[in-house]
Formats: sequence, structure tokens, C-alpha cells
Amino acid sequence: MRLSKTLKKYRKRILSGLALVFGIALIALLVWVFLLDRTITAQFEGRRWSLPAQVYAEPTELYVGSPLTADAIELELRQLGYRRVDELKQPGSYRRRGGQIELINRRFQFWDALQEPEQLTIVASNRGIQSIRNARGEDVPIFRLDPLLIGSIFPIHGEDRIIVRPEEVPPLLPAALKVVEDRKFDSHHGLDFGAIARAAFVNLRAGSIQQGGSTLTQQLVKSYFLDSRRTFGRKIEEAVMAVLLELHFEKQDLMNAYINEIYLGQDGRRAIHGFGLASQFYFGKPAAELQLHEIALLVAIVRGPSYYDPRRHPERARTRRNLVLDLMAEHGVIDQQAAERAKQRPLGIVNAKTQAAGYYPAFLDLVRRTLRRDYREEDLTEAGLKIFSTLNPHAQSEAEKILAAELERLEKVRNQKTTQPLQGVVVITRPHNGEVIAVVGGRDASFEGFNRALDAKRSIGSLVKPVIYLAALETGRYHAASIVEDAPVEVKLSNKQVWRPQNITQEVYGPVPLVRALAQSLNLATVRLGLDVGLPEVAREFQKLGLEREVPELPSILLGAIDVSPLEVAQLYNALANGGFNTRLRAVRAVLDEQGKPLKAFGLEVTQVADPAPVYQLNQMLVQVIEHGSGRGARAYLPRSIVVAGKSGTSSDYRDSWFAGFSGSHLAVVWVGHDDNSPTGFTGSSGALPIWAKIMNTLETTSWSAPAPEGLEERWIEFQTGLAAKPGCGEDIISVALPPNVELAPAAGCAEPGVIESLGERAREWWRNLTR
Amino acid sequence: MRTRIRRLGWLLASLYFAGCAVPSPYEPPAPPQPTPSDERGSQVETQPGSPPTTVEESQPLPAPPPREPTLGAASQALVQQAQAQLAVKNYAVAAGSIERALRIEPDNPLLWIELAKVRQAEGNYVQAENLARKAVSMSVQAPRTQAQAWQLIAETYRARGKNIEAQDAEAKAKALLRR
Repeated sequence: MRLSKTLKKYRKRILSGLALVFGIALIALLVWVFLLDRTITAQFEGRRWSLPAQVYAEPTELYVGSPLTADAIELELRQLGYRRVDELKQPGSYRRRGGQIELINRRFQFWDALQEPEQLTIVASNRGIQSIRNARGEDVPIFRLDPLLIGSIFPIHGEDRIIVRPEEVPPLLPAALKVVEDRKFDSHHGLDFGAIARAAFVNLRAGSIQQGGSTLTQQLVKSYFLDSRRTFGRKIEEAVMAVLLELHFEKQDLMNAYINEIYLGQDGRRAIHGFGLASQFYFGKPAAELQLHEIALLVAIVRGPSYYDPRRHPERARTRRNLVLDLMAEHGVIDQQAAERAKQRPLGIVNAKTQAAGYYPAFLDLVRRTLRRDYREEDLTEAGLKIFSTLNPHAQSEAEKILAAELERLEKVRNQKTTQPLQGVVVITRPHNGEVIAVVGGRDASFEGFNRALDAKRSIGSLVKPVIYLAALETGRYHAASIVEDAPVEVKLSNKQVWRPQNITQEVYGPVPLVRALAQSLNLATVRLGLDVGLPEVAREFQKLGLEREVPELPSILLGAIDVSPLEVAQLYNALANGGFNTRLRAVRAVLDEQGKPLKAFGLEVTQVADPAPVYQLNQMLVQVIEHGSGRGARAYLPRSIVVAGKSGTSSDYRDSWFAGFSGSHLAVVWVGHDDNSPTGFTGSSGALPIWAKIMNTLETTSWSAPAPEGLEERWIEFQTGLAAKPGCGEDIISVALPPNVELAPAAGCAEPGVIESLGERAREWWRNLTR
Repeated sequence: MRTRIRRLGWLLASLYFAGCAVPSPYEPPAPPQPTPSDERGSQVETQPGSPPTTVEESQPLPAPPPREPTLGAASQALVQQAQAQLAVKNYAVAAGSIERALRIEPDNPLLWIELAKVRQAEGNYVQAENLARKAVSMSVQAPRTQAQAWQLIAETYRARGKNIEAQDAEAKAKALLRR
């Protein structure tokens, strides 16, 4: 009674109080909605996804005379995701009859030209490409296929995507999404209460969350604006935002945003967002070329990218894909026959290892570091740049395979008692233009982490010898047949200690010609030579050849006590392989911005750093390393017809095993060692050399055959003694290029006067046969 | 000096031993003729280097005939493309086309000359000279091509006001053409 009285008394106050509270709440709600509205429209309209830079491999050039066989071309097309068909209609497809391949290439924006789709007929035999014609029957002199997308430079949070425009989306994709995820999409205003109720009922009955009632718009909001926490407050916020988005934007825009936004898989640290990237990631081709069964699989994955991961749970993914196909047929998106046919298809997932993105971390790291000189990190991870790299996928994957297999073999044969895994690095370049075509940073090539190729600075041992010998040849006081003394030598060091270097065999070889001292890697002869040439000259030679830092003028550098990364070794040897011309190693050819405008081209630049004559003499001596010296083992894997030059390197206590060498068209550097710098028991010849030779053998490489510079004469000498010889007289005869009129003592029985001069031609001929 | 005396000694020694069955030019201090090897612990099969194949004497061969390079069909098409791009001052793209050709024929001096021409047109005379020098080094047996390269080097010097160097380079080109 009293209560009602009091109530009556205060009714007005209570009512007005309540009204005030509601009023304030309403205003707060409105303000909140208003602010929410502002943020989402601003963000959505700007719709700037941060677009990681996309990195492409080098494109394959097709031209008459190319060594590519029909099988090789087909393999190439398959790697690019081209589909084999019976009837050519669409870009990205081909058909083959024996040695004849017809294809329609994809439209592709190269950095220097836009390539439109065109139908081509290529005839190839096992010797290579015989003819290329277009649809009008005209000869096409040269044609490049669209390049393989090998990765992207994505930011720390790991979101990676490729944007697709609405016209690049196959129409079945949005249709399938609607059928499976949101049947009322075309009519609702952001929320589908029927679906929510259905989901609630199902979930209540099951006692757990089995089904979501979210519309595509809600899913978009959740992915785009919110984190993944599932609280009631979040749900409300999500619902309001979905309604607001629907108020402001067309269905078409929302669908397109959804297609580019949604999360579809995980690749290590990299989150796969959007159907454009997912299409590359799972099928190795652009979204525009997706077929029905592939679209169904991607739509199946939306519900749970990890649960339905087709690589890890193929059966689960297949079941759901087929469910999607059934739903599509049931709702009239496709006919039942098409669904049944698609259900018979395999998943069609490309092998993650052979395909795309993230799997060449060592190479991509080099790309990133190259570009960091010119671009801010945000530009690389957000601005949608297209980067045309120099990677050759074939060379890269062969190098990875060979390195992994050989390290395993070496671990079995080594007699060192250690649990340390052997590690290794491979760097391959094209000497003439300095392009880095492959980088393997360790035995697990897909491991992202310490990049040994760039950052492991290790003692290079005898790899320094060519630098010293070049410095010696450049003085004009030495040539390949000059005699140097391989005898004990003592060097007083600045700390008053005395350094007594030794040969690896602990033996002493007496007077030897320069060519043998280098080929057999004689330490004593080399130290004497280096001291005679002068430490400052030797140190300077490193810089001339392209080492971008100071080298200490210490006697120990003569035996390679200098820490250099495999990439730096490649830079040094590249100058030799390029005939004395230095060209900075590069991993990037050009960069395009998001609109396809060229931003930067890294053009080929050369600088002559050494005269051709001494470089030629040195290179010829490096050929003898393979023919007579520490590189002989290469011939077990490399046909005799391919002339190569190179040098082995072993650091003290067998900690580092190196081989660096080149042919006419490739340079490769191989390092083998332990990460903790402990001894491996391998020399350069027993560890790195077989790897090097096997890799060179897979590269379809050409012989080293630089033209002999003017003023040099080819002469016969005995390899062991350096005495003048000729065929039929003298032992172990080799041909070397010498400056004119060098007097050589004849080997026993070779002393007939007048003959030696005429031998020059014969020697030249022999050399030509060797280098052909 | 020391090596010269040693060489004289060998000459005498080998004259003395001439006709002897066992030639032995010097006595190594260590066990006779150890073959050093970098191969410890190696499982690698090795083969000896091949000796020269021809043993019997024959007439000395005539000097190699000049071998002027030509461009393959693909390179020709790319050079044409580059020239069209050069005409509209699109230097980066023109250079890119030549680089494509160079990947196919890296040893062809004509392509190095074409690339040098692009840099010359662009006003990058130092690179133009460097690239032309590369062409010179690749065309030892092709006097006409080498003359072309020297001529281009002369032009790069002239563009930089280095007239004396330009005259030298030009003289080299002329001498080559007279051959």
C-alpha cells in the first residue's frame, strides 16, 4: 500500500528519469552508429587493401633455335597452370599433338609491353624449337610466356592477396557463394533473420555451434573490420555494421569486396586472402581460368580453411566440395550432369613445393634487400608493386634438389663424429649480365630464416687464389708458364710471430709453373707469389673485382683467411667469367606500380675492371683446374665436351668446403659447412665440387669459349714442369696462352729449333677443339 | 732474376739430357713428383685430363679467317623493336629488348654494340663506352664489328669533349677496316 503510494508520488520523477536514461542511451546509440557509419564508409570507400608486391620469375622465351623440346614446353605450360584441352578457346590453355603445341597465352602486363592473348602453333623436335606461327600463319620470331608468380613481399602480419576485378571473376563463383553461404544475399539488408533462427535451432539441438547464420555481408564485416573474438557485443556491432554497409553500397561492390577479402588458407607465416591468391595458391593459375570443380573447392574451403585444407585433409575437402556441387545443382546454378561430372574430377591441387610463393625464401630475401635501397618497406608490402625478378625456376629447383640429396650423401660418407647437420648454399648467375638465377640458402630450401647465401660470411680458403694470380698476371711479370718456387716460406707477422704456411698434403713441390701451382692449389707457391706481387695489390684486386668492402693487407689473406658470403664470391668470380667486366649482381629486372606503369628498370651495366689478356690467361688456367687439378672430380658428372673453369676452396681444419666455377653461360658457387663453424672433414673437391658439377650438368650450359685476346700465343707446355713441349714429346702436355715471344726452356727431346714457333697454331687448334 | 738463371740451368740440363730415355728436369726435394690432391676422403671418381688428340705432325694451320657475327632471327626482331623504341626515346624499354636478345646470344658483339648505342642516345656516355669495350673484347676475330665498336667508343669520347681519345679510337677503327 505504502509502496504504491510512494510510487504514485514519485511516478513523474521515475518516468522522467527513465526517459532521460533512454534518451541518453538513444543518443549514445545514435552517436555510436553514426561514428561506426563514418569509419566503415570511409574505410570501405577507400577500400585500399594493403597489396603485397608480387614477384615474378623470369619469363620463358620461345624462339626458333631455342633448345626447348616439346616435352619441356609442355612442362613449362603445366607449371604456369595452362590447361590441356581438345579445343582451343580460352587463354591459358593448350593442346598437343606430338611435337606440335598450340596454345593461347594469357594477357599479361610485362614491364615493357602489354602482351595480348594470341593463338600460337609451336613445332619442336628433340633438338629444340623448329617454328612458331601465329593464327594467321605468320612466323613469330620470339615470344615470351607469362611468367610464374613466385611469391610476394607481405608484411609482418602476413596478409597476402591478389586483387581481382569483377570482370576477372568467373560468374559461377558468386553464384556458388550465394547458394552455399547466403541464399538471400540479393534481397536482404545485411542480416538474414531466417538463417539466424535456423542456425540457432540447429546449434541448440546439437548443443554446440554447428552452423553460422551470418550473411556474406556479416562475414565481410567480421573479416574486414573486426577481430575474430566471438562475443555478444561483437555480434551486435557486426550486425549494425552489416546493415550500414548495405545502406551505402551496391550488392555488386559487396560481393567483389568479399571475393578479395576473405581468408582462404595458410602458408607458413603467410595468410592467403581472396580468391585471386587462393586460385594461384591451390591451382597455380589466375581466378579467371577456374573451372567448376575448382570453384566448388574454393567455396568449400571458405567455411574452414584449416579444417578443409585440401592438402592436409583431401578427403574432407572432397566431400565438402561435392556437397557444394550438389547444392549448386539443387538450386539451379548448374545442371545435375555438370555437377556429376565435376564430382568425378580430382581436387587438382598443385604441389605446394613446385609452385609459387614463399618457397624461394633465400631468393626473395635477395629481391627484398635489392629493393629496400629504393623503396620503403610499406611500398613493398602495401603498394601493389609488380616485381620482375631474374629467378629461373628450373635452375632453382634443380639446385635445391641436388643440394639436399648431396648433403645427405655427404653426411653418410663423412667420418667426423658430429650430430651437426651439414648445411650448404648454391648461388647461380648468368655471367654476362650478372643476373642471379637461383639462390638456395640451406638444405631445406623452403626454410625461412638465416639466409646463408647472403649472410654467412665464411673463410674462403683457396677461392682467393685466382684473385692473387690475376694480380700477378696483371703485373706483366708472370705468365702461365712462369716458374714459381713451392718451397717452405716464413712470414714475420706484425705481432712478431712467424707464420709458416703449409700445403694441404704437407709436402713441398719445388719449382712449378704458375698454371700447375693454381690447378693443384699449392699454398707455398701461392704465398710466395702473393708476397712478390704485394699485399696491397692483392687487396686492391678484390675490390676491383667487385667486393664491396676493405680487405685487410695481411699475409693470411693469401690463403683465404677472409670471410666472404657465397653471394660475394659469386660477384668476384662473375667478373672473371665475364672476361674482366664487372656487373653488379642483380635479382630484379624491373618494377611496375599497381597501375602497370614502369617505376624502375635495373638495366645492364658493365665496367671493365681488368684487361682481357690477363683475365683470359687466368681463365685458361682455371680450365686446367678441372682438367688436371683439384677440380678433376667434376668430370664424373659433367660431359667432357663442356669446357668449364673453376676453383676449389677449403678453409683451415676443413670447416668450409667451396667450389666456384663457370661455363660459357653460367656461374655457380657452392658452399658446404656447419652452421657452428665446426670442421666437416670435407675439402672443396670432396664436398662442394660434386654438387657444383651436378648442378652445372642440369643447366644446359654452354662451354667456356671466350675469344683469345690479341697478342697472346697458344703454346704447348708440360703441365708438371712448365717446359716447352709439343704433341708427341713431353709429358702431360697442355696448351696455355702466353704473351708473345716468351722464351721457354724445352722439355727433354723437344728442343728442335724452329719447331716451337710453328706449334703455336697447333696448340691453338687443340685448344679450339677443347673449347668447341 | 733467379728464375732466369734457373731457366738457363734447365736449358743446359735439358740439352745435356737430350736424347736420354728418362727426362728428369729437376729433383724435387720431397718424394719424387707427389701429386697433390685436394681430394682427401673423396668418393669422387676422377679421370685424367685428355692429352691432345693429334700426335702426328702436320702443316701449321692458316690464321683463322675473320668471322663477322650475324644476328639470329629472334635477336633481329628484338633489335628492330629496340630501334623503334629508341626512335621515340623510350630508352629503358629499348635497352630491355636488347637485353632479351643478349640472354639468347650473350657472345654476340653486335648486341653489345646495340646496347651501347641505346646508352649513347640516352646520354649515358660512360656506359656506352663500357658496353662498346665489351663488344671490342668479344670481336677479336671480327675486324669489321670491332671497328664499329671502336667507332662508337670514339663517339662517346667526342660527346664528352675528349677529342684526343676520340681520335685514337677512330684510328683503331680505321686500321681494323684496312685489314
